[in-house]
Amino acid sequence: MTKRVLVVDDAIFMRNMIKDIFASGGFEVVGEASNGVEAVEKHKELRPDLTTMDIVMPFKSGIDATREIIKQDENAVVIMCSALGQESLVMEAIEAGASDFIVKPFRAEDVLAVVRKVLGDN
Amino acid sequence: MNVDVSKYLDLFVSEATEHLEALGADLVKLEKDPSRDAIDSTFRHAHSVKGMAASMGFERTAALAHRLEDLVYLIQRDSSLLTRELVDLMLSAADALLAQVRAAGDKQPIAGHPALEAELSERLSSLNSARSQLNPSTPLGAGSPAELPTPQRKKRPPSLPASGSPASVRFAIKIQIAPSCQQPGARAFVALKRLSKLGDVLELKPSMEELRTSRIPDGTVSLELQTASDEAAVRAALGNVAEVALTSFSALQNARPEPKPSPLPRPPASNGSDNARTVRIRTELLDYFLDTVGELILATSQIREIGKRFSGPAQPHLEESVDRLHGLVKDLHDKVMSARMMPLSTVTDRLPRAVRDIARRREREVELVVSGAEVELDRTILDNLSEPILHILRNCIDHGIESPQERGAVGKNATGRVAISVRRERDRVALEIEDNGRGMDPQKLRLSAVAKGAITAEAAERMSDKEALMLCCLPGVSTAKDVSDISGRGVGMDAVKRALEEVGGSLQIHSERGVGTRFTLLLPLTVSVVNLMLVGVGGEVVGFPVAKVLSALEVDSSEISKNGDGSLLPHSKGLLPVHQLSELLGFPMTQPRSARPYLVMEGDRGKVALAVDRLLGQEEAVLKTLTRPLDLVPGLSGVTILGTGRPVFILDVPRLLST
Repeated sequence: MTKRVLVVDDAIFMRNMIKDIFASGGFEVVGEASNGVEAVEKHKELRPDLTTMDIVMPFKSGIDATREIIKQDENAVVIMCSALGQESLVMEAIEAGASDFIVKPFRAEDVLAVVRKVLGDN
Repeated sequence: MNVDVSKYLDLFVSEATEHLEALGADLVKLEKDPSRDAIDSTFRHAHSVKGMAASMGFERTAALAHRLEDLVYLIQRDSSLLTRELVDLMLSAADALLAQVRAAGDKQPIAGHPALEAELSERLSSLNSARSQLNPSTPLGAGSPAELPTPQRKKRPPSLPASGSPASVRFAIKIQIAPSCQQPGARAFVALKRLSKLGDVLELKPSMEELRTSRIPDGTVSLELQTASDEAAVRAALGNVAEVALTSFSALQNARPEPKPSPLPRPPASNGSDNARTVRIRTELLDYFLDTVGELILATSQIREIGKRFSGPAQPHLEESVDRLHGLVKDLHDKVMSARMMPLSTVTDRLPRAVRDIARRREREVELVVSGAEVELDRTILDNLSEPILHILRNCIDHGIESPQERGAVGKNATGRVAISVRRERDRVALEIEDNGRGMDPQKLRLSAVAKGAITAEAAERMSDKEALMLCCLPGVSTAKDVSDISGRGVGMDAVKRALEEVGGSLQIHSERGVGTRFTLLLPLTVSVVNLMLVGVGGEVVGFPVAKVLSALEVDSSEISKNGDGSLLPHSKGLLPVHQLSELLGFPMTQPRSARPYLVMEGDRGKVALAVDRLLGQEEAVLKTLTRPLDLVPGLSGVTILGTGRPVFILDVPRLLST
């Protein structure tokens, strides 16, 4: 069955790019959120197989959102979107319950490799 | 497969531009009040631009944004580092980034800024070393935020060790992190997390602290795992981690394990916010909607006109249907108009930065206060407003606000104040820009205007002070003592007045010497529907916005007096110069008649009377902007099509008179 993805990023630009990568990999992007608060709500509503989560966002950071998502669904799979200089934040996110991470700038094949491995695990 | 990024270029340019503009505004805010929110928001903007630029492959931009982000990061840690000079530097970086983004948008090569980059690096390392001297225990890597709150840890209760299970085994494990991995520390974290789900991780090398700082010699991590799971489960767990290879795996003698600290999530912080559900629409699409709905209104009026010529039993039904259609179209039009409304903050948010720059260049201390920026206007008006507002602000600072010394000498606060306030007045918006500077001198303006030959000495004499202040809007008239590179000399205020009139607005000036000046911009909420006064001239029909017509009257020719080269029409207590509209438009002169209608209108140099052939009444019309080459014809401000299908030009009297 096609895996359902929620894409969380405050930049439309990044969301579009991530959506295209998932589409090219045969995933279905079922929702988008532009901040941590929306991410928690959308996750509750959509129960996606996978959520990509930006770290630095307004209102609520990706790390706090991940923590809440894991609290509301301990099997939730959250992939952090990291960037240069954010490694320690990624570690914090993993401690908060994130399953894995991808690093900007995204290469479609790397993103899909990480995601497929993570989903194979779950 | 690599992502083809070219299709994201437009979005990148628009979103990065937004972030950079907001970043500039935040920096100016920060300088005044380094609040946590402002610093965090500044950081997010720099960070977003970095991420987007890197994704587009614009490495120079990403690197510059990264340096800026690092600087903001330091300020996040210690806001006392923030100085005016540092804000200057960061603003320059924001400007350079904006220029790069624009270049990218124009598909031009992206210029580097080596001097700026060097300065940023230098500032980063000096701030870093200053900080580490103060807090030797927490030095910061220039490139990476490494200081993190240590997550709360809870020791596993000794009575419940995983090893307590009789089937527990211990494995010695070595994993290799791929050399291509960009964040090996985080990668190791992922692997350890998977393993810790199966049991206790022990004998970790490098240590947890070393992993946190990504110090992993040769990319090799070794550990022991005390687990109740079998080998296959351990291999499977690691097999599902990207960029990690299991290089060594062996079962050890069972031994009593140390209780492993297990990272526990902190309680989630609740931080609610309302987020209106919105989508982005290209502005061209909004323009298209407006145009099309305007055409719909016209088409409906045309059907109504045609329907009037029908007679018969179907006629009432047709009329009823047309009424219904008209109602629907009108409703749609209102909705389209409301979708085009944007808050004035889209213009005013950029002003603190501009004020700061102008004030610094002119060595003035200026505080800008903006209120009412949430008031909404049509975006066409907003687009036309940013230049005029900026120009008035420059004038306020250049010519209004005195130097701190001068202010001190007259007992004023050394810091001048410019206040922008916006309020809605029924169907108009009043925007006031007020300074507490030296005020304008109407007498000087009169003398200057006469000296420039713009008005006669008699006309100057007759003018009230209020009228005299408006002389600054005549080209070339200015009382400024020196020519400033920023606001120029008198060139701008006429352009300001023009720009306001183009969107149906007007300008008023109040000034008191020694106290200050207030510019009031009266603006319509929307531009596209205008109430027109239609007049006939030489067999043609032309329109004037009703808002511009002061009065319409019919006057007998015997009441018109002559003076040398022109005619004068008596109006209230004075005489108004008369202009023949047919002559201004180059139409053949009409036969003189005993009585004819006149429109009294505001020209650049006071009121004028326009002689027309017929007054045809008022009509609400959808204004369409002129396209090339018609927009180049002076005196034409737009065109509309009447219900009868007849196109009508809308005239701009001040421009008509000046040609």
